[in-house]
Amino acid sequence: MPLISAREVTKRYPTVTALDAFTVDLEPGIIGFVGANGAGKSTFIRILLGLLPPTSGRATVLGFDAQEQPLELRKWVGYMPEHDCLPLDVSGTEFVTHMGRMSGLRPSAARERAAEMLRHVGLHEERYRLIGSYSTGMKQRIKLAQALAHDPKLLLLDEPTNGLDPEGRDEMLGLVERTGRDFGIAVLVTSHLLGEIERVCDTLVAIDAGKLRYCGSVAALTEQTQRLRLEVDEDAERMAERLRARGLTVTAQGVELMVGFHDDSVFDVVRDTAAELGAPLARVELQRHRLEDLFRATSDAPALAAQGAAHD
Amino acid sequence: MTDATAAGTIYDLGYQHYEGERLGRANAIRTLAAYSLRSAFGLGRGERAKFVPVLMGLFCFIPVIGQMVMANAAGDPSRINFAQQTQFTNLFLILFAAAQAPELIVVDKQLGVLGLYLSRSLRSTDYAFAKWAAMVGAMLFYTLLPQLILFAGSLLLADAPWHAFTETWRTLGPILGTSVVISCYLATVGLALGSLAARKGYASASVIAFFLMTPVLSAIAMTLLPHDIMRYGILGNPIEAMSGFARWAFNVKPLVSRRFPLAAPRFGVEYFYPLIITTVVAAGLLTYRFRRSDI
Repeated sequence: MPLISAREVTKRYPTVTALDAFTVDLEPGIIGFVGANGAGKSTFIRILLGLLPPTSGRATVLGFDAQEQPLELRKWVGYMPEHDCLPLDVSGTEFVTHMGRMSGLRPSAARERAAEMLRHVGLHEERYRLIGSYSTGMKQRIKLAQALAHDPKLLLLDEPTNGLDPEGRDEMLGLVERTGRDFGIAVLVTSHLLGEIERVCDTLVAIDAGKLRYCGSVAALTEQTQRLRLEVDEDAERMAERLRARGLTVTAQGVELMVGFHDDSVFDVVRDTAAELGAPLARVELQRHRLEDLFRATSDAPALAAQGAAHD
Repeated sequence: MTDATAAGTIYDLGYQHYEGERLGRANAIRTLAAYSLRSAFGLGRGERAKFVPVLMGLFCFIPVIGQMVMANAAGDPSRINFAQQTQFTNLFLILFAAAQAPELIVVDKQLGVLGLYLSRSLRSTDYAFAKWAAMVGAMLFYTLLPQLILFAGSLLLADAPWHAFTETWRTLGPILGTSVVISCYLATVGLALGSLAARKGYASASVIAFFLMTPVLSAIAMTLLPHDIMRYGILGNPIEAMSGFARWAFNVKPLVSRRFPLAAPRFGVEYFYPLIITTVVAAGLLTYRFRRSDI
């Protein structure tokens, strides 16, 4: 039984299609869900929680049908929304305890777990302060604490790093990683920044304009999106031909060669080829694609998505 | 899973999974209703949140003390007038509904807490129901409790309390009846109007406007309509309707019948109809607002 399974899920609004025949099977782990703003990430999460009926298609979470059994499903799922969701004139402890009870815990268990989760997110000291006096970073962390209050099997985090400064982002991602690795809770975390979440994720799902662009391991994606930038002052054309002959993908632009990078052996091939030709290598640089490059590349070559899926 | 000690150096208490029972929808409704009832009285919230409930307590319980002092001075417990208590506190009850119904229902929406609640084992209409129950409970504190104290006072002032109880216990019927009807009426109207507003201020304003405008409209209607229908216009005045209903329930004559020489209405059970009709319409509106899935 997959953790999350979506079959041809489509959500149409009068003017836009938020999800377009979205099909994906996800296994437990830390799942990064990347896409530009408005790509359909939040819509997908709301459908998974049974908060939004899809126009067509079916989604199941932990074996529960999101449309048929939303109330049972939500007992096992923690949700941290992207938008503000905090009462201001309530203390941290009071709020997390209350949300734990709302999620089905008995009062004593809810109090105990609230204290534990506030410590986990580093708000132990501030737990009696009113939430209205919290900083943005603290607010994000208490949102995470309330999502964990009832010990869910799956945590849905919608843009948890939104509005945080770089330090806050690192802390939040650290918490996400610890929750996924040490607590053994499956996490689906969305972001519009690939570089940000890929380091904490096992699996990446990329979505663009409601369509699945990529689903696979982070390693496989890195392989597909990393490239080696070479500057060869002379004989760039011949160098490119040689590299192609040795099984590498190369695009040449004047003295600049872009070489597909899958593992460190590429360095050896480049070194050997350059030595053979006596080509003057002025620069060797490992580059990352950005998310936008990924989408551009995949819309040109739809094979990538399939390839990524096959890899998984 | 990886070794828990590796990352848990700072918080090395480890992580305890929860193995206990997970309660469902009924628990969520109960929990939300109890929490909202507490917060209607400002409990568990900041200091400022306690201002309205405390002030309201003064307005509702001072007339009780006043009536008891007067009855005691006269040495006649039968002078205690339960309908008068309703008349004295009507306006404050309306203000309480205008202040607290939006507090219960609009703030959640305004701050996004509603979205969080709905991600729990709770349907949107369950949410509305829990808030409604909490609001009715809060109103009962200010309607039923003073009346019960008044009743207890009437017994204690009597020469033979037990004998007085055997004679007057039937008053408990109208006490309960008027308190429940008026509480449901004000709570439902307050929440229904609150559910239409996006901000707390607008919601409070619309509740007050409702109770200010309906008397005006009913007065206008009274001047426009033919004479034999005109007298029913008084029923469109919520304050009159509540007071009249209480007078009918406790079987008391109007205090100031000469204030409305034209209408001089001697309605009885008719006072109940505008209250119940408005309550049902407001409840329908509240349910309709929350049944929409995109709230």
